[in-house]
Amino acid sequence: MENLGIDGKLLLAQIINFVLFFILVKQFMVKPFTSFMNQERKNEEEKNRMLEKLKKSEEAGIEAEAKMKEKMKKEFDVLFIQAKKEAQNMRADLIKQAESDALEIKEKNSRLLAEEKNLLYREVKDKIIKTSLAIVESTLKDSLDEVSRKKVTSSIIKNYQGGLKVYEN
Amino acid sequence: MKINLKLKEDLKSFLMEKIQKEHNRVLVYSADKLGPDEKKVLEKKFTDLNWSQAIYQIDKSVIAGVIIKVGSKTVDLSLAGSLSKLSNTLYEID
Repeated sequence: MENLGIDGKLLLAQIINFVLFFILVKQFMVKPFTSFMNQERKNEEEKNRMLEKLKKSEEAGIEAEAKMKEKMKKEFDVLFIQAKKEAQNMRADLIKQAESDALEIKEKNSRLLAEEKNLLYREVKDKIIKTSLAIVESTLKDSLDEVSRKKVTSSIIKNYQGGLKVYEN
Repeated sequence: MKINLKLKEDLKSFLMEKIQKEHNRVLVYSADKLGPDEKKVLEKKFTDLNWSQAIYQIDKSVIAGVIIKVGSKTVDLSLAGSLSKLSNTLYEID
């Protein structure tokens, strides 16, 4: 060994030195670093897991929201259809009622018109009869002199056949 | 006050007789005074009436013809009556 230029003692010292260096480095540098790295990895995994969880939760929230929206839409549709039906029924009822009222008013007006027409007809008839009779009576009174009246009276009495009504007072 | 029964009966019969006479009395209304011929014709036409106490009255509203009244009965043979009947007929026609 000496011929090769290798100092055994020095080699041993260097080996010991290396071993010590290795142990020290491993003990005080590699271990904490590894531990730190492991911790970091764990933290990263935890973060990822949390992120995944959050993502899942968000997705579930979105899905629930979509479902809720769908449900609300369905309910809204049902309510809308129901409201539409009710509105149509109400409209039909209102139209029916309005038609009935209009018919009633029409009939009432027709009845009133007929009554007024009848009344007017009777009034006009009454006036015509009264006027006509007054004219005839006046004309007869003016035109018949005593001789004519006597002739008429005589004629009436002679032509009487007993067919006239006898009035009871 | 007591009334004599006989007097009461007499009064009653007198009043009844008077009412009967009034009831059977013939009243004739005409526009002009009726002549004897017309009166005779009337008596012939209405033989069932008592013409002996008939009263003849003038009423210009009769126009022409006569109205005979006996008690509650009336026979209208006047132009005014004819016009009235015509008026009633016209009212009845619709």
